[in-house]
Amino acid sequence: MERLDTISSLQYFVPEIVLVFTLMAVLVCDLVSKNRAPRERRLLIVIPSLIGLVVALSYSLQGSEAVSAGLFHNMVAFDGFGQMLRVIFIVTSIFVLLFTLHSNELRLVHHGELLVLLLTVTVALIWMANSINLLMIYLALETVSVASYVMVGYLKTDRLSNEASLKYILFGAVSTGTMLFGLSLLYGLTGSLDLFEIRSALSSQEVVASSGPALMVILVLVLAGIGFKMATVPFHFWCPDVYTGAPTPVTAFLSVGPKVAGFAVLIRFFYGGLASPSEDGASWAMVGSVDWQTMLMGISVITMTLGNVGALLQTNMKRLLAYSSIAHAGYIMMGAVVLSGEGIQAMLAYMIIYLFMNLGAFLVVIVVHNDVGSFDIKDYAGIWRRAPLLTIGMGILLFSLMGIPPFAGFLAKWYIFSVVIDAGLGWFAVIGGLNSAIGAFYYLKILKTMFIDGSDTPEPSTPLALQPLYAGLLLVLIVPNIIGLLLWGYLDRVTEFSQKLLDAM
Amino acid sequence: MSDFFWLIPLIPGVGALINGLFGKRLPKPVIHGVAIGAVALSFLIALGCFFGPFLSGGGETVLEKTLFTWIPGMSAAQADGTMADFTALWQYRLDALSMVMVLVVTGIGLLIHIYSMGYMSHDPGYWRFFTYLNLFTFFMLNLVLGANFLMMFIGWEGVGLCSYLLIGFWFERDSAANAGKKAFIVNRIGDAGFILAIFLIFYTFGTVDFYEVMAGVSAQFDSPEAGWGVLTAIGLLLFVGATGKSAQIPLYVWLPDAMEGPTPVSALIHAATMVTAGVYMVARSAVLFEHAPNAMLVVAIVGVSTAVFAASIGLFQNDIKKVLAYSTVSQLGYMFLGLGMGAYAAAIFHLMTHAFFKACLFLGSGSVIHTMEHAEHASGGHRDYTEMQDMRNMGGLLKHMPKTGWTFIIATTALAGIPLTAGFFSKDEILWSATHGGHVTLFWIVGVIAAGMTAFYMTRQVILTFFGEFRGGEKMASHLHESPSSMTIPLMVLAVGSIVAGYVGLPFGASLIGPFLAPALNAGMPIEAEAHHASVAVELMFMGASVLVGLCAIFLAYRMYWGKPEGDKAVSEGWPGVYRTLYNKYFVDEIYGATVVDGTLGGASALNAFDAEVVDGAVNGAAKLTLGVSDLSNLADASLVDGLVNAVWKVLAGVSNGLRHLQTGVLQNYALMMMVGIGALIGFFYYYLWT
Repeated sequence: MERLDTISSLQYFVPEIVLVFTLMAVLVCDLVSKNRAPRERRLLIVIPSLIGLVVALSYSLQGSEAVSAGLFHNMVAFDGFGQMLRVIFIVTSIFVLLFTLHSNELRLVHHGELLVLLLTVTVALIWMANSINLLMIYLALETVSVASYVMVGYLKTDRLSNEASLKYILFGAVSTGTMLFGLSLLYGLTGSLDLFEIRSALSSQEVVASSGPALMVILVLVLAGIGFKMATVPFHFWCPDVYTGAPTPVTAFLSVGPKVAGFAVLIRFFYGGLASPSEDGASWAMVGSVDWQTMLMGISVITMTLGNVGALLQTNMKRLLAYSSIAHAGYIMMGAVVLSGEGIQAMLAYMIIYLFMNLGAFLVVIVVHNDVGSFDIKDYAGIWRRAPLLTIGMGILLFSLMGIPPFAGFLAKWYIFSVVIDAGLGWFAVIGGLNSAIGAFYYLKILKTMFIDGSDTPEPSTPLALQPLYAGLLLVLIVPNIIGLLLWGYLDRVTEFSQKLLDAM
Repeated sequence: MSDFFWLIPLIPGVGALINGLFGKRLPKPVIHGVAIGAVALSFLIALGCFFGPFLSGGGETVLEKTLFTWIPGMSAAQADGTMADFTALWQYRLDALSMVMVLVVTGIGLLIHIYSMGYMSHDPGYWRFFTYLNLFTFFMLNLVLGANFLMMFIGWEGVGLCSYLLIGFWFERDSAANAGKKAFIVNRIGDAGFILAIFLIFYTFGTVDFYEVMAGVSAQFDSPEAGWGVLTAIGLLLFVGATGKSAQIPLYVWLPDAMEGPTPVSALIHAATMVTAGVYMVARSAVLFEHAPNAMLVVAIVGVSTAVFAASIGLFQNDIKKVLAYSTVSQLGYMFLGLGMGAYAAAIFHLMTHAFFKACLFLGSGSVIHTMEHAEHASGGHRDYTEMQDMRNMGGLLKHMPKTGWTFIIATTALAGIPLTAGFFSKDEILWSATHGGHVTLFWIVGVIAAGMTAFYMTRQVILTFFGEFRGGEKMASHLHESPSSMTIPLMVLAVGSIVAGYVGLPFGASLIGPFLAPALNAGMPIEAEAHHASVAVELMFMGASVLVGLCAIFLAYRMYWGKPEGDKAVSEGWPGVYRTLYNKYFVDEIYGATVVDGTLGGASALNAFDAEVVDGAVNGAAKLTLGVSDLSNLADASLVDGLVNAVWKVLAGVSNGLRHLQTGVLQNYALMMMVGIGALIGFFYYYLWT
């Protein structure tokens, strides 16, 4: 590991810098175009945003050289893992930015601040995922949170949106506060904010001997903040309410961006601070006296089960997808408990596929809401007759979410289950499988509603309004789910490279 | 011409093909022209072969022609554990034995073909009949010309098929169709033995070629004890085949029924040729049988038993053809007696002479029946064919149809063994052979008794048919007339044959046919000197005795039936039990019916019942069980699986509902629950994970 000073760190920090300048530029653009026609003004902010994101993305993709360094005196990591996550976040942002353009929910509000906030969160997510310093972790996490709170409440006149935002703020405050408490205790215990120094401190015998109960409490408290971002039990309570209340593009963003960042922090924190890598960096052993692996396993099981069971009776599409995202958090966490590079690889693969299938599902929700004006599942009845292609696309996305072969979602689950089984945790995979079966209940319920319900109404159906932009986006999101098998080799290579943490931390 | 001997079997095959494919649309002259021409051509080639190489080269002449390799080398296991290539050639071989058979088949066959022209002239199945006849000739010639057991088997099965087709030729009659079926089924039993024998032959010798097998027998089993087991088994299995095809005890029952077929068929297939296939087969395997004395003994016993048994049945039959049928069975028994005694040449000799006089008799009877039916038809009567074949309705026919009558009488003398006829020489040759081999008197006595019976029933038949007054009714009598010349000419030719054919096998060591056949019977191996012609005087004595018995039988029949068509009464009233037994053929058909047939049918119905009750029951049971299970599973599906699913759903939904209650929307509750969660996690750690 190379520990870099501020100036030499900047070369690895280009995408973030680009995004920061972009968001400032957008802010300025937004201000100077105040007197222009709304349509013209929107173009003036959307185009720079997109340009900034695309430039940042192109820089991110270039950065795939096998370098790993601790930037800014070991505040932020630069490694394959971080590079991959950077791409995920930027891609997510691009999708969400495009989602916002034709969303009926956002039709009546000005988009300027929303885009600035989106760009802010994107940068913050990248920091969050790459932080290897306790302070930096907290700072990035809070930045993400604060910007997210505003995004959730962006519909100032919408009661639900406001309520969601407030809940999010308060719950987030409690969570992050709890986490901060844990972090401070950890600092007190180890005398360092640097994860690697914390690890070496925890590895020493006298600390192990004296720190047992304290470390235990610390882990749970820190997990509160991370779990809040991942939306895992018992830090998930905000999730259904916020997802329901937030504008749908924001919900889509929350279901992917902060969640993925949460898992990144989980990996960074536990693998970096509380585990020591083997010689080849392919596996880890826990340090200290606390068996956090079993804790994560338990949380994973409870999370996926609660997510799936909770989704069963939901009548609101966004709320259902909220629970679904909780369940998927449980699945993703399965990869984190095996303490191996392959586990990380499986998580990354899952998250990439999850990005496509979940964003796709939310886009369908946006499209349907644009036409039907409702998020109620029962209002999805008869969509089949109005928009067969969209329904088939939604079918593919839902099958993928279910984990039905040959769609990409199956590959993601199969990979993560097989990693778990390889680690000797067959029962864990069985629970995952059972949960997938429960999951099929509510996903199929949606499909049934779309395909069968309302098909006996005699009235002629009008085609569902589908904006060309959304149609294109849907295609982009659905196709990877279909040809996942073909892309698997590429995905495997990418994640193989990307599971390389900062010199295996 | 002898270079083309292999065409002998093929030409009738082509004839059958032509008539079979196009016969329906061809005029009658073309049909019988093709059929007769084909057989005539074969006969001519056969004659050419005989008067060419065989006359000059004698019995040692062997002509071979391989048309193609029928079954190319297939590896097969051998008795000694090695593997041998099982090869079968489509090969024809004409040696002395085959020569005799070919001449009989084509010669007699030709005459019968010609005869059929008249006999079948009004039958709508004319083309079919000649197709079958030619096909039969093709297969029969394959049988006798084939160079290996498999070729023989092809012919064997083929003639069986043709026999079936021709017996059932008038398939609109139930009795004919049944007779065909009976013949076929009974023959199948024999065929099973034959094919097993072929398997065993290949297994033992690694070849199925006649000469190679016989050479193998001599080489492998030079001491008689060496091969008793396997050779006896082969011999007996072959003989099982022979009893089927040649109508020996216990498989003879099909032959009398086979008389349902047109009379030319009875003459050709069921008297002159096909039924002698078993005799030919045993003679062909003479070397093998010589090394299996037990099998020989069985052959002799079965032969002589059949001879006397069938003859006794023939005594009081009233159907003109049935008498001849039992006579045929009886005469075939003679042949097997000869074979069993090692007098293979004598058996073949008798086969040949028998072909002449029995064909003549059958054709003669056919001529009679033909006339009877025409007369009945012309007089407006409608009695069915069984009445027309009943000798009690005949009588005095000699004056109406002298050619038929006299040829019939000549053939009768041959069959009865009147001295200087063909039958006399050949039968005597066999009886003479029966005096050898240690069982001397018994076989000879039984044989002579059978000969006496033969003389008796033939005399009875001649008297009942051709002498006395016509008993068929006044109306018919005026319509009786001689058959057309296409029928009478063959009769006359055969009648001449019935006399002169015997002179190739004169007794007292003066036989021509014996030495002629010897090389072939020995399968090309050196001939052991046959020295059983011990003394002319002894042979003359035996001969005289058998002739005397024959003459006495003829005299007895003359006394019983001359002028007294109801002559049977002397026996039926004197010894009613005996008469009834003989008249009813020892109730063998009934016994077979009660045992084998009913047994089979019973077994079949038992199996059917088993099938219906147990198997179907099991199937139905299984079906019911399946239905039950499916009901159950439906129930289970409805209550258990659906119940389970519903239960799971209910539980999950309940939990889900509970969770919904947890998700109150009240933020304080969330925060509280999160804290509870944190506390639970810490507690969890504290109690379980503390290490």
